Amino acid sequence: MPAPSTPSPELLEARSLVLVREGRRILDGASISVRPGEAVAISGASGSGKSTFVRALATLVEPDLGEVLLGGRDARTLAPGAYRTRVAFLAQQPAIFPGTVAENLAAGPALRGASLPAERALSLLAAVGLPEAFLLREGRTLSGGEKQRLALARALANEPGILLLDEPTAALDPAAGELIVQLVRALAARGHSVLMVTHVAEHARLLGGSRYRCEAGKILAELA
Amino acid sequence: MSYLEIPLWRLSIALGLIALAIVLSRRSKLGLEREIFIGSLRGAAQLIAIGYVLLLLFQHQHPAFVFLLLLVMLVVAAATSARRVEHGPPWRVLFPRALASIGAGALVALVPVFALVVPPKPWYDARYLVPIGGMMLSNAMNCVALVFERIFASAATESDQIEALLSLGATPRQALQRQERTTLRAALLPTINGLLTVGLVALPGMMTGQIVSGTAPEQAVRYQIVILYQLVAVAAVAGICAAAFARRLLFTRRAQLVLRPRPTQ
Repeated sequence: MPAPSTPSPELLEARSLVLVREGRRILDGASISVRPGEAVAISGASGSGKSTFVRALATLVEPDLGEVLLGGRDARTLAPGAYRTRVAFLAQQPAIFPGTVAENLAAGPALRGASLPAERALSLLAAVGLPEAFLLREGRTLSGGEKQRLALARALANEPGILLLDEPTAALDPAAGELIVQLVRALAARGHSVLMVTHVAEHARLLGGSRYRCEAGKILAELA
Repeated sequence: MSYLEIPLWRLSIALGLIALAIVLSRRSKLGLEREIFIGSLRGAAQLIAIGYVLLLLFQHQHPAFVFLLLLVMLVVAAATSARRVEHGPPWRVLFPRALASIGAGALVALVPVFALVVPPKPWYDARYLVPIGGMMLSNAMNCVALVFERIFASAATESDQIEALLSLGATPRQALQRQERTTLRAALLPTINGLLTVGLVALPGMMTGQIVSGTAPEQAVRYQIVILYQLVAVAAVAGICAAAFARRLLFTRRAQLVLRPRPTQ
């Protein structure tokens, strides 16, 4: 695998997503457009639909109506695996796989039968501020903030152009949370498109890009 | 006749064993007295009934009757393995898949053996097809029930892992691989353990029955070896089929994990 290449994100759009579960309209015409290299923060109250929205963008849930487009192409016309390597998704409390940090980092490429060279693994760790010595540590023994950073590095091993993050700081203490937002901001500065869902207004502001709020299943632009 | 007959009055003495279990259950406050009592009556009634069915079948040998009985056994086995699956889809969804898995396992284990190893004469001889078929269906039933129970439960409890893999671009097969492997190992281990301990710990029922009823031990042993090998094949085929069906039920065509209530925030 080559050294980390410059990300080449594509335009990511959601058009009028509607998702109804058990009679409840969780998404009600939610739309957004994330331009290549743009950082977007979506805030909103618990139950507003923001988590479901980002999961729909990650194609982990299927909206009943509307479409998700990547580079102008309907996501449904792309193979799920191909879409998800270009558009990475990080859950609120990312699952760390059994095995070492190195094995976790290599998980994405391994799914396609590729290996992750040691120098690339080290550069990924450096990108998320984890020391080299972590490579051989058992992934599940890391702290919450370290796990979040490992998951971020693991996602980056696929060289995605776009990062979707669902409340990445919710389970962390303030200092660890702030560090994650700064890392994500740095990734955006290096050319990744970033969409981060958060209920912490300060973190949305810290990301430094466009800001939206999610209300009753709709995405509304925040006035600056 | 080369075996000891059991008159009914002697059979009733065996009920003392059930009484013993009931007393122990009561003294240990297990609360299983009712289950033991009903189970013992139901088991005896079912066995007596099948005894008469077999008697009828032996007297009126006809392939249609033999296959009808095997079909009933298959349906009961599938219905039993598809019920009460926590975290899984409803019975009506699982039943046809259980039917196909158990049927496939039984076919793979039975057809070559009846064609090549123990060819009955006539080919539909109920004395061979029904008891051996029953053993295969029963093993397949246990295996499929275990696969369904475990795979849906582990997919529910480990959904974060599965979705993390999907998010990295895994196919459903890759995302569920670990849970599938653990489930199939658990489903196959009892049968494999049976292979390892047979003769050392347990003398299997069929062999014991044959010896008691006068079959030469070396022939009874050969039968048992064939049965054991069939049980391994039936468990492997039925288990793998059931796991493949479960995987299809757990994911959409767009590789999305289903069956878990989604967070709605």
